[in-house]
Amino acid sequence: MTDETKKKINAKYERELLHGERFWPDSLFKDAIVALGIFIFLVLLATFVGVHDSPKADPSDTSYVPRPEWYFLFLFKFLALYGQIPVFGKIEWVATVLIPGIAIGLLTLLPFIDKSPQRYYAKRAMPIAIMTIMVLGMVLLTMTADVPTVAADGSGLLGNLQTVAGLIVPSLAYIAFVGMAYTLKENAVRAIAWTTALAAALMIGFTAATLALYQPAAVAVIEIPTTLADQIVAGQDLYSVHCVECHGDDGKVEEITGVEGLEGKKISIISSKDVLYTVNDASMAEIIAYGRPDSGMNPFGKAYNPEGLTRSEIDYVVTFMRYTWDDRFEAPYIAPLYPPLAEGEVPSYSVHIEPIVKRYCISCHRPGKDNNNYLMTSYEELLTTGDNASHNLISNDPTSYLLQVIQQIPITDPASGEELIGVMPPNKALKPEIVEVFVRWVQAGMPK
Amino acid sequence: MRSTLWQKLFSWLDERLGLNDAYKNLLDRPEPKGNWWNTLGSASLFLFILQAVTGIFLTVYYTPSPDHAYDSIQYIMTEVQFGWLVRGIHHWSASLMVIVVFIHMLRVFFTASYKYPRELTWLIGIGLLLLTVGMGFTGYLLPWHQMAYWATTVGTQIAGSVPFAGEFILKSLRGGPDLSALTLQRFFAAHIWILPALLVALIGVHLYLIIRHGESHFPDKED
Ligand code: HEC
Ligand code: HEC
Ligand code: HEM
Repeated sequence: MTDETKKKINAKYERELLHGERFWPDSLFKDAIVALGIFIFLVLLATFVGVHDSPKADPSDTSYVPRPEWYFLFLFKFLALYGQIPVFGKIEWVATVLIPGIAIGLLTLLPFIDKSPQRYYAKRAMPIAIMTIMVLGMVLLTMTADVPTVAADGSGLLGNLQTVAGLIVPSLAYIAFVGMAYTLKENAVRAIAWTTALAAALMIGFTAATLALYQPAAVAVIEIPTTLADQIVAGQDLYSVHCVECHGDDGKVEEITGVEGLEGKKISIISSKDVLYTVNDASMAEIIAYGRPDSGMNPFGKAYNPEGLTRSEIDYVVTFMRYTWDDRFEAPYIAPLYPPLAEGEVPSYSVHIEPIVKRYCISCHRPGKDNNNYLMTSYEELLTTGDNASHNLISNDPTSYLLQVIQQIPITDPASGEELIGVMPPNKALKPEIVEVFVRWVQAGMPK
Repeated sequence: MRSTLWQKLFSWLDERLGLNDAYKNLLDRPEPKGNWWNTLGSASLFLFILQAVTGIFLTVYYTPSPDHAYDSIQYIMTEVQFGWLVRGIHHWSASLMVIVVFIHMLRVFFTASYKYPRELTWLIGIGLLLLTVGMGFTGYLLPWHQMAYWATTVGTQIAGSVPFAGEFILKSLRGGPDLSALTLQRFFAAHIWILPALLVALIGVHLYLIIRHGESHFPDKED
């Protein structure tokens, strides 16, 4: 740039200043309004949207599908699309390092590449067109971030549409820009503007088609317990499912009964001071994760047991144990397991029976356990499974096997006098009010 | 001439601090006719300051260890008075800052404000953009939840795909072959000391250059 041009630029700037504004108060006033608006917007977001919860990190849970911060999504999408290109797509670093590196490099050196003193928009069609397509591409790639490149049924249609929108159209547009700038020179502005508009329309169109064709699979929403009370309840549910069969619902079991291979095994009372005072939270979590394989407790950490517990879940169990049994901790208010029954009220499966079964029975009555094939994980299973399915639950019949066994009456084979079904739960009788709920429920014909 | 106590105090301070000079040089500057697009730079600055203030509050309770990071965040969200608000603002403001800084960059690009004499301002600006994204990347890991853990695993893997140096970059980011307590400690140090220090320094130079050259005017047909 010659000194001549520099002088001209500075002179023009001085002229602009003459009919301009003052930094204080004119510009600062606008700045302050924007800052205030942003602040209010953020407070509203924090109050009404909050921060999305996710469970605690679990290095052993490799099934987790990673999802970067949203402003990196476009890069991930770009990588995925690039990976579809034959041959070149296999050289990963071209997409992860080379292309982003070139883009950032060009952006950094921009003032030294675009050295012409011209600033008016129409005189800069080329850089503006390149940037517009680039930013549009980033936005559209972010929008399609969740659309897979290969559909569940193996069809590549979605992937092809995305490749056209995200890679092919922009590349063709860039080639056209360069071509036009060289052939048309000064007259290229119009051509470039039209090409940009056309490319943008195509990119938006193909992206819209992708989004319209894509049916997202329903995702299960996982509730994450955040308050202490919720964590204790979550821990209790997990404890009921995984630990009750050996340690009993109050952790007081000294001798295991009704568990295959461990019958009669003497164990320490895990709700006693002996255990709770000597084992701190970290070691407790470790015992649960690694188990006590030598003495018969299997590991529960996801790394050793695919059906086991995640890190958060193990923490909830420990929290539950502390706040329920350890007299040094004071538990917060916790809602009762099921709403207490009023005089003459009829209990239902979903409100009363399900939570009770979940806490007291399901640890043994689920697939893969010794339970006479009696599964209790749903209403249908409760009514129809089991070796003695036809006897377990009979509408308004007090001799239903289930009612007998929970009232401490074992079922014996009338022919041989042998015990068929022991009392339930095997290790500790249910509280009378819970038995009452079952009795009334059967009386009423087992309503759902 | 009689002067009030305030005037005396002001002139005493002015003699020593140069308040009047500061006013003339910093605030009472002429600018070309601007519009709302010109507020994006100061909005970036505002968001940065907001992040610093809320971030300092968060470090009071946050513990950068794999065993306690998650729980300390839960504690902030449920037990600490207004902890949810402070974390909520820090969380959303982080995303907003990336957007605002990016749009600020776009506005400077479209008005060609990076040209003579503001080339250096642009160069520093790119540094600021990269640092802002770096803040987002390092901050994302700190809550140590599943999303953070696996996103960072993949993110560092990508950095590890650099030919030849990849292995070294991956290990220095993670502090070992895998994500561990070291990674968290490292990201924490970067997030609260290294990157903010660089940001403050670069913002200082950025602002100095803006005052030195003045805000550019919106180009017209003559430019
Ligand atoms: C298959 C039966 C079984 C299951 C299921 C089981 N445990 Fe155990 N547990 C044992 C045995 C056996 C021991 C060893 C007892 C001993 O050494 O005194 C044990 C030991 C323990 C100990 C250590 C006690 C001590 O002496 O330090 C704790 C704590 C414990 N279990 C908690 C749990 C929790 C929590 C669960 C549920 C996630 C669970 N256990 C599930 C059988 C089981
Ligand atoms: C510690 C494990 C354990 C727990 C807890 C448990 N059961 Fe059982 N249940 C068994 C076993 C084992 C059998 C197989 C019969 C036997 O060995 O007594 C069984 C069988 C049954 C049967 C007979 C099924 C059939 O078709 O033969 C009924 C009914 C039953 N349980 C009800 C319950 C109820 C109701 C609860 C909860 C209040 C419960 N059980 C809790 C272990 C358990
Ligand atoms: C933390 C991030 C940033 C902060 C706090 C910041 C702050 C500011 C402020 C306060 C201004 C003056 C007001 C305005 O024009 O909006 C400004 C101008 C400017 N910024 Fe930034 N900025 C940041 C990032 C960037 C980036 C990413 C770029 C571009 C790569 C950039 C390039 C410029 C340029 C060239 C100017 C001069 C504009 C003109 O004179 O018209 N800045 N910045």
